[in-house]
Order: sequence, then C-alpha cells, then structure tokens
Amino acid sequence: MAAIKYVNLYFKLVSAGVRAQMQYRFAFIMRIVGLITAYTGTAVTMWVMLYQFQVLGSWNFFEMLFLYAIAILSWGFCVILFLHFRSLDTYILNGTFDRFLVRPINPFFHFMAMKFDMASFGQFIFSLLIFIWVSLELHIEWSSGKVLFLLASIIGGILIQGGMLVLISAIAFWTTKSQQFYWVVMYPARNLTNYPLVIYPKIVQWIAAFVVPFGFVNYFPAAVILEKGTPFFPASIGYFSPLVGLVFFIIAYCVWMLGLSRYKSTGS
Amino acid sequence: MAIIEVANVRKDFMIAKRETGMMGALKSLIKREYVKKEAVKDISFSINEGEIVGYIGPNGAGKSTTIKMLTGILVPSSGNVFVNGLVPYENRQENAKSIGVVFGQRSQLWWDLPTIESFDLLKEIYQVSNQRYKKNMDTFTEILGLDEFLNTPVRQLSLGQRMRADIAASLLHDPPILFLDEPTIGLDVVAKEKMRTFIKEINQERKITVILTTHDMEDIERLCERMILIDHGMKVYDGEIAMIKERFGKTRTLVVDLEESTRSLQLLGGEVWKEEGNRYWIKFNRDEVSASQLIAQITKTHSVKDLTVEEPAIESIISRIYQEGYQPLKA
Amino acid sequence: MPRFHVYWIFTKKAFLRSAVYRFDVWSRLGSNLIFLLMWGSIWTALYAGREEAGGISFQAMLTYIVVSQFLTGVNGAGTPLWEIQEKVRTGDIALELMRPFNVPLRYLFADFGSVAFYIVTALIPIYAMLFIFMDFTLPTDVFTWAGFISAAFIGFLIRYCIEMAFGLLSFFLVETGGIEDIFYFAMSLLSGSVIPLWFFPEWLAKIAVYLPFQGIYYIPNAIFIGEIAGGEILLSLGLQIFWVLICYFLLRLVWNRASHKVVVQGG
Repeated sequence: MAAIKYVNLYFKLVSAGVRAQMQYRFAFIMRIVGLITAYTGTAVTMWVMLYQFQVLGSWNFFEMLFLYAIAILSWGFCVILFLHFRSLDTYILNGTFDRFLVRPINPFFHFMAMKFDMASFGQFIFSLLIFIWVSLELHIEWSSGKVLFLLASIIGGILIQGGMLVLISAIAFWTTKSQQFYWVVMYPARNLTNYPLVIYPKIVQWIAAFVVPFGFVNYFPAAVILEKGTPFFPASIGYFSPLVGLVFFIIAYCVWMLGLSRYKSTGS
Repeated sequence: MAIIEVANVRKDFMIAKRETGMMGALKSLIKREYVKKEAVKDISFSINEGEIVGYIGPNGAGKSTTIKMLTGILVPSSGNVFVNGLVPYENRQENAKSIGVVFGQRSQLWWDLPTIESFDLLKEIYQVSNQRYKKNMDTFTEILGLDEFLNTPVRQLSLGQRMRADIAASLLHDPPILFLDEPTIGLDVVAKEKMRTFIKEINQERKITVILTTHDMEDIERLCERMILIDHGMKVYDGEIAMIKERFGKTRTLVVDLEESTRSLQLLGGEVWKEEGNRYWIKFNRDEVSASQLIAQITKTHSVKDLTVEEPAIESIISRIYQEGYQPLKA
Repeated sequence: MPRFHVYWIFTKKAFLRSAVYRFDVWSRLGSNLIFLLMWGSIWTALYAGREEAGGISFQAMLTYIVVSQFLTGVNGAGTPLWEIQEKVRTGDIALELMRPFNVPLRYLFADFGSVAFYIVTALIPIYAMLFIFMDFTLPTDVFTWAGFISAAFIGFLIRYCIEMAFGLLSFFLVETGGIEDIFYFAMSLLSGSVIPLWFFPEWLAKIAVYLPFQGIYYIPNAIFIGEIAGGEILLSLGLQIFWVLICYFLLRLVWNRASHKVVVQGG
C-alpha cells in the first residue's frame, strides 16, 4: 500500500480512537485534571525543595522548571501516540492482539493507530504556561533559531521516549510482560530526568546519555538553551537530540518487529 | 481443487513448569524450568473450494494452534501450509486479504464505537471499494438484520447481535475462505439457528470455503458434510459425517424399565452396561441382533413397564472415538 | 478474638501467593532502588558538600531518605490502589459483602501477608546491606527502635485506611483520576517522604502538621534519625494513634455507604 494510503488510514483509525475516548467525557475531564494535578505536584515539590537550598547542582528553581516543562511537553506527545504500547502484554494475554495479525496492514502501524489519548492536551497548556513564565523570569531571548532548536529537540524527545515505550512493549513478545517493565524502567527513568542529570553519579549520567538516552529528552537541550554547563559532556551535545531520537526509534522499531516474529513462532 | 493444503505440520511450545509448595515458590523466584509441549504433532489435510469443514477436538487438542497457523499468526515448527496458494506466515498481509476470521470469544470490532463505524474502518483497512462495500452491507443487513443495531456501540450489543456483526465484518472484503472459531459459543437456541442458516447461505451462494471449530455438535450436524477430528495434536478422523455415523451408529442402546429389579438379565446379543433402580441400559449391535429380538427375550421372563431405543448422537460417537481411539477401516 | 483466625488465613494465603509473582518482587525492588538513588543524589546535591543544613547533618538527612525509601517499599507492597478500584468495578468486592467478615480488615490482613513476604525476601536483605556498607545513622537504644517500629506500623495503618477509602470511592465515581493524583501528591509531599517537614516553608509545614499524612513517613523517619526523641516519641505515637482512629472511622464510613449502595441499588 502506498504511503499516502497509510497516512489516510492513520487519520481514520485515530479519529475512531478519539471518538471512542469521547464516549467517556467525564473520565476524560478527570484525566486531564489528574495529569495537571500530578505535574503541578512535582513542580511544587521542586519549589519546596529549593525553598531552603536555592540551587540543585547549580540549577535554580526556574531553570529546573524549564527542564521539567520540556520533559512534560514531549512526554505529552508520547502519551498521545505511544503510551498504549505499554499494555501490549494485556492484548497478548487475552488474545486480542491476534486481531492485529489477521488484517492486511502493518501490525505496528495498526497497533499504534489504535489509540490516541487526547487527555494529554492538558499537558500542553501546562507546559506552555511554564515556558512563558520561565522565559519572563530568566529573560530568555527567543530567537527563531532557538525556537527551531527547541522544536527539534522536542521531536527528538518524543522519538526517544516513544522508542522506549516501543522497546518496553516488545519485551512482552518474549516474556508476556510489558506494563510492569514500564513501571520498573520507564517510570523511574522519567522521574530521574525531571532533575538535572549533573547531580547523579557519573555512571548514571553516562547511561542516560548513551544507553537509555533520556538525557537527550530535556537535560542536554535545556542546557544549550539556558547556556548551562554539562560536566563530563561537550556543551554542544544537546544538538544531537533529534538524531539520537531518530536512531533510537528505528532501533526500537526493529526490535519490535523482531519480537513480533518471535511471537509468531512461539505463540507465547 | 484444494484451496487449503496442510502437510505434516508440527508445532511445539515451551511451557514454564509450575513449582509447588513453599520451597518451590521460593525456588521459582530464582529459576524456572521449561518443558516442551507438542501442541500439534503431525497433521495433514487438504480442503477443497466451497467445502464446510468442521474442525473438532477437545480443549487443548491443537485446534486454535492450527487455525493460527492457517491465518499466519503462528509459524509452524515444521511442515507446509498453503492457503489459497500462499504460505500464510510468509505472506501474512497478502493472506489476510483472502481470509475472514471470526473468534467467537473475542470481538474484532471497535468496542466503544457505534457498530457501523467498525465497518467503515474495516472498509479502509481492507481497501474495499465503495461499490462493493455498499453491496455487501446491503446484503448483510438484509440477511443478518444489522440495521437494528448499527448505531449502537458494540459494547452494548447482545452476544447474538455482536456475533452477527462480527461475522458480517469478517466478510466485508469478500474473502474466499472463512475461519470461524466457536461462532455459536454462548448464543441462545434462536441465535444459534440464525447463525447456522447464515453460514450455510454464504457457503452456498458465495462458494466461500468455511473452516469451523466448535464444541457444539449440532453445528457440525447442521452445517458440515466433512469433519476433521483431532486429539492430542494428531488427526484421528477425517471424512464424511454420514460415514462415521454409519460406522459407529451401529451400536444402539435399549433402555428398559422393568416392573421389578432383577439380578439376572442375560440376553443373547445384548449387554447390560448400566443399571439404575429398575432401569437397564442394554448395548447391542444392529447388525447382530434386532431390537425386537431383544425385547422378545426380555418380555419372556420379565414384565416391561416402558422401553426406548437410543441412537447414538454424533456427540457420543465422538467422545467414544476420543476414549477408544479411531481404528481406520481396512480396505 | 474468636474470628481472628479467619483474618490470619488471609495473611497466610497472601504470603504464599506473593511467592508466585516473582517478577513483581524483583520489579518493585528495582524501581524502589532507582528512586532511592534519585533522592539520595538530590539530597547530596542540595547539601553540596556541607556537613549540615538547618541543624540537620548530611549523614542524618541521607539516613532519613533511606529509611523513607524502605518504608515506601513496605507501604507499596500491599494491594495497590488500582487493584482495589478494579475489584470495585468488576464487583469482586461487592460479592464479598456476603461473606462473614469485615471486608476492609480482610484486605488489611491480606496485605500483611504480601508485605511480610516482600520485607523478608527483598527489602531486609538489600537495606541491611546498605546499612552495613554505608555510613548511616542507626538508633542505639531499644526505646528508639521500639518507637520507630511502632510508628512505622501505625503509619502503615494510616496509609492503608486512606488508600482503601480512596479506592472505595470508585463505588460512587466512574473515574477517579483527578482525585487519585491529589492523593498521590499528598502522599509524596505532605507526608514528608522525600522532603522532611523541617525544610518546608513555615506555612506549608503548619498545614502538614495538621494532616494525617505526616504520620506515614515523617514521624517514623524522624524518630529513626533522632530528630524526634525522648518524650516526643510518645507524643508523636499518640498523635498517630489519633489519626489512625480518625482514618479508620473515615474508612468505615465510606465502606458503610458503599455497601449500603450495593445492597440498595445493586452496585
């Protein structure tokens, strides 16, 4: 099938997903409220933490907020596009995954287009407000170059975190578990990167840069925009964010397809 | 002409061993052992265009595993599978276009959306032309009465409605082959009947080849001429239903209620295999002795209150084959 | 209590059942340790080489965080909130109304079993190693140890009552997402689990002191590192008991309304 047809099909499937979600309007609103509460909660925690101490590894409250806002923004897109990958195990266990395999389209694509969680639009408003607030407080000059760089890094961040979700879901093909891996690997990793990487032991920073490249989601790009040092790493490392994202996502996709062929031979 | 070819197919799984007891529980925290399970050992058959074949076996016999290999969801450990000239697991997407699949236990439809939307989406997924889509929808609406619930979300449909919607959905793209996995499970008598009529109809009018797995033998008797019986991953019978009935149907049971119980009910050509109070079940072979001969023997010595002759249902024939194994007739 | 035996069976069964879910044990421990690393690093960076801040030594602060993470592990090993909600939705809990026992208590005792398994197989081995190989503050007298263990236990009860009450809200609300997150926020910040109350801005500390959450982490942690000592320990325990009674009363109230709803409206 031609690519254009896939794009067309994607929108059809996604809009079905959105309409399905809108059937539960109250739940939808509660989810937006919940997400915003949770993010505000973390921001308040950061504020309380720095109330007495002022800086965390040379990052002040507003700089940390900025770091956090980038993470939330790209995560918001991930929630929309990929979050349901983490429950692939449920689909496999109750047999509903098979339906993606009896249809004449790419199963990865089909699975991805199945859901489109609009609730994270609440997140965008939240992070946009923070960007504005922080920009005023820190007097950030938003040149078009910087805006472009920020957008590119956010795309990088989406690909990195989306890739991670895809990788985690692929584990389900081998172990029939993925949700739990999300809670053990991804959830703590996301929390870890809410704070500047510089505070962690060197080995953790190294892992966050080269193994599970979450450092490229927010820390490296934020350091570039805020002109903060990144000890142990060259200052320009943040520019690689989109590239890292692309490579990581392609790897994740390949692993997923590999897992699928393994699933087809074992049936799990 | 064979539309489905299965040759010496085998499928193994590795299964984690469950440890028991306290120590076993602690041990399994560290290490788990696996055992090989042969879901399908060696199965071959071929199905011609336009047939309805019942694919039967007890739970765990390897039915779903076979179906999954035919639909391209599973790759066989060895052996060959051809569906409509294609190897399903090598050309899964291509194969998907020529098959329709219905899993009775799990809907393929979009749970939260009005039923019609699922059809619209499937139209896109299978690239069904507007003209063909409209024609099929009209036909299905007419035969299956889809219009009464097209605007109801799938989750609110009754099981019967959902099955009707599911089967219509599986046929939208005019597949020449239809796999039905327990299509009547959980349905009431009326809904089952509707379903069977529909399956028969599409088979006859559209020449669709149907492979049907079911636990309901009435489905088989009403729909299939041919039946493939598997057990423990092996084929135990493949042939006409009429033939198996003819062969095993020779054994009849005479049930008699006597006025008073007796110890010695010795009959020539018959064998008492069960008794309960004054009721006796006597097995006999139709070729060796007739029912009236037996009855005459009994009434000579006992006074009979009531009697019936039972013909074996296909169900009991099959359970007999499972228990005793099927010895093919020597030609 | 003659019927105590019934609850004890739930504890035993839950203990054995936990063993089957080996992956749960490892995964919980894994994420617990990552969070320990995170908060340890954060506090190391906040102290930035200083020996003490606000009258609290760096060593004491690190101990606070380690103990807090240990207790987080303990509190997280029971029936999670989502599972309670799931049981409400599927009607499992409503079915238990027919049984001759107190349902909230039955779940509490089941939690004792799974928590005990987790403490014995995962938490104690790992945290004992931490205390052996790292330089943390350990209480030296029996009185402090007894105070800490009692405070941790009562804290567990407070947390259980609040969490269960929140879980039962699903009887009345289709979706509890927003409320849930408020609960999680309160649990993490106001309980003092990651930032001790003495580092709070004054107004916030005042609010936290008047809420039950501090009884879950702050009080046992502070007793452990000796910030709450002597007679204050008894006072804090008294405060916790006060809160556990209130929270249990609250739980009973929610439970009674929920079961009333099941009985009258059929769920």
